[in-house]
Amino acid sequence: MKKTLFSLILVFATALSFGQGCSDAGICSVGHAFDTTQKQNKNNIEVATIYGVGESDVTYFSPYVSYTRKLNEKVALSTKVTFSSASGSFGTRATFGDAYLVGNYLFKENNNKQWSALVGWKFPFTSSNLKINDYSLPLDYQASLGTFDLFLGTNLKYKKWDFNTAIQIPVFNLNKNSYFKEYSGTNDFPSTNLFERKSDVLFRTTYTIKTTNQKFTFKPNVLFIYHLGEDTYENIFGQRENIAGSSGLTINGNLITSYNLTKESSIELSLAAPFVVRDIRPDGLTRSFVLGLQYKIAF
Amino acid sequence: MKTKFFLLPIFLLLFSCEEQGDLTKDGLRDTSVTESAVLKYRGLFTPTSGITVSGEAKIYLEGNNYKLQLDNFTISDGPDLKVYLSKSDTPNEFINLGNLTSATVYAIPTQVDFSQYKYVLIHCQQYNHLFAVATLIQN
Repeated sequence: MKKTLFSLILVFATALSFGQGCSDAGICSVGHAFDTTQKQNKNNIEVATIYGVGESDVTYFSPYVSYTRKLNEKVALSTKVTFSSASGSFGTRATFGDAYLVGNYLFKENNNKQWSALVGWKFPFTSSNLKINDYSLPLDYQASLGTFDLFLGTNLKYKKWDFNTAIQIPVFNLNKNSYFKEYSGTNDFPSTNLFERKSDVLFRTTYTIKTTNQKFTFKPNVLFIYHLGEDTYENIFGQRENIAGSSGLTINGNLITSYNLTKESSIELSLAAPFVVRDIRPDGLTRSFVLGLQYKIAF
Repeated sequence: MKTKFFLLPIFLLLFSCEEQGDLTKDGLRDTSVTESAVLKYRGLFTPTSGITVSGEAKIYLEGNNYKLQLDNFTISDGPDLKVYLSKSDTPNEFINLGNLTSATVYAIPTQVDFSQYKYVLIHCQQYNHLFAVATLIQN
């Protein structure tokens, strides 16, 4: 027990000191449909609450509910609804964020190699123009970026390793954000009036460690996200401008620790933070530290 | 334990809210011009189809800065209404002065040439719908 506890503390401390995490709009958390130890259960519900610390003085509280249904041994469908509450100098704004629908297909295992593919869709609940007291708010305070996104991805599971790659493409842009730095009283956030964002590609490597009693599972993982181009906004003169420095690489570290309460249920703690970020992140995906707590039940 | 985990996020999902902060609290907006400000341009608002509007746009020179005040102004409700200073009576070439509130006095960028920007528009940015136009004339 002491050994387990020591290992746990050591892994957590490592995670914190190296700074890990995920700072993207949804690409980080898709594709867990077959990620369950109880193969015979067809349904899976996840309920989670996530605390995040963003740029300037913004903090986030972002719960979500997810339901996954295995249609057969190869196909699963997942749905997820997010909520976000952001607090900081602009005040507090909280509402629903996005809904996700993701389909997963599991290919036949071959020589310890298990491939799966996913296709998904993100639906925004807002047009990213929530205000407080008639003041427009930066995207850091918006629960959704206001885009309909397509996800395409694949996963390779090889022994204790998982390798994910995916692309998140904003297909339809409903973003009607009207935040101007010039009229806000602070220089902390860039102008994002009528914001248009570019696609992201993701690559993630995860290593799974299970304790001998199978109660604890540790999943340290590293996540690379490349933002494929500079985002744009419409300036006060009605002209579209590129946001310099908004493209490029983000590298996140993440440690997931799960504890099996029963054969069907588990509790999961996730610690995450980025250690390489883009020069400027106008999309408000600026979490410098994320702590997530999740309860998962299969039936 | 399980019940608490389920109830906490469900409670939050039902709880949408907005709360003012240091940058959004009442009293931050510039709502008056000084007595020494000089009225330079003015124009009565006329509505577009289906819109009701009344009031006047007044542009003052205060020191070296121009400011726009909406006087006795009321307009039909609309989502995301903006105040534009425009080169024409349609929102093609304009300066977005910010969100419409009847009490706000809007700061105008120093480089504005009023021989070109002769109109004040009230425009719904979200649905790209023009609500009202005021043609500025020299006072």
